[in-house]
Amino acid sequence: MATSNVHKWAALPDPSPAELARAAEGDAQAFTLIVERYQGMVYSVAFNVLGNHTDAEDAAQEAFLRCYRKLPQFRSEAAFSTWLFRLALTASVDYQRRERRRPEPVEAPDLVDEGSPDLGDGVTAAALTSALHDLPADYRVPTVLRDIYGLPYQEIADVTGRPLGTVKVMVHRGRASLRLRLRAQGVRPAAVPAGARPGSDV
Amino acid sequence: MDCSYFRERINQFIDGELGYLEVAELQGHLSFCADCAAELAQMSEVRGALAAWGRVELAPPPGFAERVTAAAELEPLPGAARPYGRAVEDALDKLDETLGRIPLPGGRTIPVKNVIGWGLAAAAVVIGLERRHLRRSRELNPS
Repeated sequence: MATSNVHKWAALPDPSPAELARAAEGDAQAFTLIVERYQGMVYSVAFNVLGNHTDAEDAAQEAFLRCYRKLPQFRSEAAFSTWLFRLALTASVDYQRRERRRPEPVEAPDLVDEGSPDLGDGVTAAALTSALHDLPADYRVPTVLRDIYGLPYQEIADVTGRPLGTVKVMVHRGRASLRLRLRAQGVRPAAVPAGARPGSDV
Repeated sequence: MDCSYFRERINQFIDGELGYLEVAELQGHLSFCADCAAELAQMSEVRGALAAWGRVELAPPPGFAERVTAAAELEPLPGAARPYGRAVEDALDKLDETLGRIPLPGGRTIPVKNVIGWGLAAAAVVIGLERRHLRRSRELNPS
């Protein structure tokens, strides 16, 4: 995988308290710096939840507007990037819930740099995103939140407004469906190495 | 054999939700069930690929940051006074988040709740005019 694609924003320090204070007072320049710094992260979250560029742009813009409105409520006990990441997730999930009747054309993502990174075991980014966005939204959203962003099941239930048991079933079905779709795309099924047995690292 | 019980266990194992005895039980099953062993290996691959994908940053469309900052300039200042009190303002914000916003040309957006509010106000005016018209008609033609 091209390392230059990996979390450019994570290599940057959070905005200083002074910068955040200026943005919270409505300083357009300070807020622009925040948008420019984190637009890749917020847009990536929105694209992974929604699967197409039009909806992702709308949801990402909504996330930044929520950030702008709520900046005075930000408390520096949490990292700013973590706080903004949660805003991006909830804005994207809210958007998906609101627009769930609309058709969802599947589009290829635009990476920050050229190239389709290999995600390991012969799975390419193109194959994975195609399989992911072919999933019904009811399976895709909880699977994205769980297996891409590592949210606990309870938090996924809170964000999506679904019961905990339902969320678990949807993630399990989403994984199984992804596995079948990747195989259907010709991604080589895994051999069964001894290391895949429980008790070894997964 | 019916492996559905162990397929569920495989997901719980991937999520780290199994205790020692349950892992041992699963391990015993996988030692002779090639299908379930393959399922675990492939599930692990999928999960690894998803985690790796989560570390990839995507490029927003050109001009995205400019559109966001232009939209923010149309917002009230974040620290602006709250004439209706914080609880009311928070409730209105929540209504905005639930109903969403309608995009306008130039990257601007307008809250759906505002459009609904204007619609209700316009309907109230029309109903008021209609009632007034009926009242005047009755006054002029009492029969």
